[in-house]
Amino acid sequence: MRTSINRPPTPVAEEDEDHQPTLQEIINIKLIESGEKERLKELLRERLIECGWRDEMKALCRAFARKKGRNNVTVDDLVQVITPKGRASVPDSVKAELLQRIRTFLASASI
Amino acid sequence: MSLKIDHRINGQIFPQPCPHLAEFRSRNGAKPFRALQDCLRVKPPSGRAAIRRDPDEVPRCGECGDSGGRTRLYACVGCAGVHCHAPPGPSHAAAHAESMAPGHEIAVDLDRAELFCCACRDQVYDRDFDAAVVLAQTAASTLHAPSSIARSPHPENLRKRRRVDYRPWTPDPRERALMVSCSSPLNAAVSVSRSNNLPWGLRGLNNLGNTCFMNSVLQALLHTPPLRNYFLSDRHNRYFCQKKSGASNDATKRVVAKNADARICLACDMDAMFSAVFSGDRTTYSPARFLYSWWQHAANLASYEQQDAHEFFISMLDGIHEKVEKDRRKPQSQGNGDCCIAHRVFSGILRSDVMCMACGFTSTTYDPCVDISLDLEPNQGGSAKMASTKSNYSYSGEADCTNSSQNYGISTLMGCLDRFTRPERLGSDQKFFCQQCQVRQESLKQMSIRKLPLVSCFHIKRFEHSSVRKMSRKVDRYLQFPFSLDMAPYLSSSILRSRFGNRIFPFDGDEPDASNELSSEFELFAVVTHTGKLDAGHYVTYLRLSNQWYKCDDAWITEVNESTVRAAQGYMMFYVQKVLYYKASEKQVAA
Repeated sequence: MRTSINRPPTPVAEEDEDHQPTLQEIINIKLIESGEKERLKELLRERLIECGWRDEMKALCRAFARKKGRNNVTVDDLVQVITPKGRASVPDSVKAELLQRIRTFLASASI
Repeated sequence: MSLKIDHRINGQIFPQPCPHLAEFRSRNGAKPFRALQDCLRVKPPSGRAAIRRDPDEVPRCGECGDSGGRTRLYACVGCAGVHCHAPPGPSHAAAHAESMAPGHEIAVDLDRAELFCCACRDQVYDRDFDAAVVLAQTAASTLHAPSSIARSPHPENLRKRRRVDYRPWTPDPRERALMVSCSSPLNAAVSVSRSNNLPWGLRGLNNLGNTCFMNSVLQALLHTPPLRNYFLSDRHNRYFCQKKSGASNDATKRVVAKNADARICLACDMDAMFSAVFSGDRTTYSPARFLYSWWQHAANLASYEQQDAHEFFISMLDGIHEKVEKDRRKPQSQGNGDCCIAHRVFSGILRSDVMCMACGFTSTTYDPCVDISLDLEPNQGGSAKMASTKSNYSYSGEADCTNSSQNYGISTLMGCLDRFTRPERLGSDQKFFCQQCQVRQESLKQMSIRKLPLVSCFHIKRFEHSSVRKMSRKVDRYLQFPFSLDMAPYLSSSILRSRFGNRIFPFDGDEPDASNELSSEFELFAVVTHTGKLDAGHYVTYLRLSNQWYKCDDAWITEVNESTVRAAQGYMMFYVQKVLYYKASEKQVAA
């Protein structure tokens, strides 16, 4: 990426050498590197659309935007408002399916 | 928080940049955005664009090393530094913008390729950036494919004709004299029947033996505005038509059977029916001649058994088309609607996109259609759970609101349309041959509407025939339908736009004189309902004339309340475009 403005030195990802990556970080990286994370995201998207979850979130956003006024709403506001409700309303079957997929992946990646 | 005022350019909402974006642009122009093009990666199968310096890079926040597990990662457009953003928690992206201000407020979401202003904490839009993203996405989906297939085929039957302004017309004295001399006045009985203030064209149709399926559709068609106007303005004159077909047959000396065939013209019978129904005579009318003609056309359905109203509708339009087409040698293309009045009124174009899940290559086809058949949603286990959590939320539930309420347990027409245009996975047993991969692959199919017809007929698939289980059943589930309908979200332009994310970019097919400027708003004017069982049921039509609803039950017509109509079990719903446009005609089209 060509840059034209003051560019700070390339940041070092790990601040100190003693910093051990957590299990969560290791799994996340393995998921990304193998491309599995992208596939899981697509699967999740599909399932959430199928069961109407996305339409519900859309409706919540619309209602919120209507209440606050269209020009007074930011993305961060919306995310903040719908995240708790969104997390709570994901169907159990979807959660189960994704967990199963992740478990399978972990087994195959021998973590 | 910035004040953003949206305004429309060419019908598209064009969000104003926030002050930080405006300043960034004035200082750096469009170069930084175009430079981002090198980092745009398009990932199959979704075709979504992401920002990555190297294709296999695992991006991390420069401050805390977070790799995007629970946060969004943003890359500063000014300095390429990557930071995390997780409101209401700590946001290194916002901190970066503040500490390095000015010039470092604008960032791009790594996973979504969307611009974000870290100072305003809101999404912002830039034409040049979106153009770069869309170009990258379309380039990726057509990579390696021969150019003839790569470009989405433009439907040849969507010719551009110049739009003209409406000019009102009144007859001059000579024309008026001509009209009077060549027509016969409606009988005096009219003034008597007009006294009870029923509108023109309301006339009961006698049931000729289980013909309610025909009567119900005919009532809807008799009050389909473009169709009614066509016949009432003498565009298909039955006397001329009969004379013409009679003359040509004598000349060629065909077999008797064919002679009889040639004189059957469903359009002529419709013309006769329009004349009779709009004559002001309120006695019931028997569409016997029409029934006979239709039996000739659809021999396999010729019986006194109860038939399917939708099947009759299709068969009838086909009959009008066939007869006219034989006579006129008009272009076959139905999508344009130039072939016959039936298609002019009802024909639209559906677009089908099939995307290969392995490589992202998309194959597009266009098909004309005279109606849209919709499935009622099956009952899902998930929806029960949603219903319980939903009860805590309250939002305005206007009768015509657009949210899908399948989770309330109520099916709506818009919910069905949402499902119709939703991407559908073609599973392992339905693999589609991908041009690019040269093998059968799992694919994603999505329907959308390329061109809206003048009149949209929605047919709800309530009759299920399963050849596997050798049984048929009727789905009685109630379907809520709106009186006003905006079809914009189901147009190809909208569907494509949502597939590419939130972009400002003119899309292929967005011609200035095509669907963008035209209205996509429709009004309901007729509902054909079915009550009873699969084999022993009854069709009734509700008509909306001058915002008053009438129930047409064969020979009996009564005024009814709006709520009666809303509560009815809709089988076929007819919507007409609210605004009509005139196109310059190439030649005078005489019927």
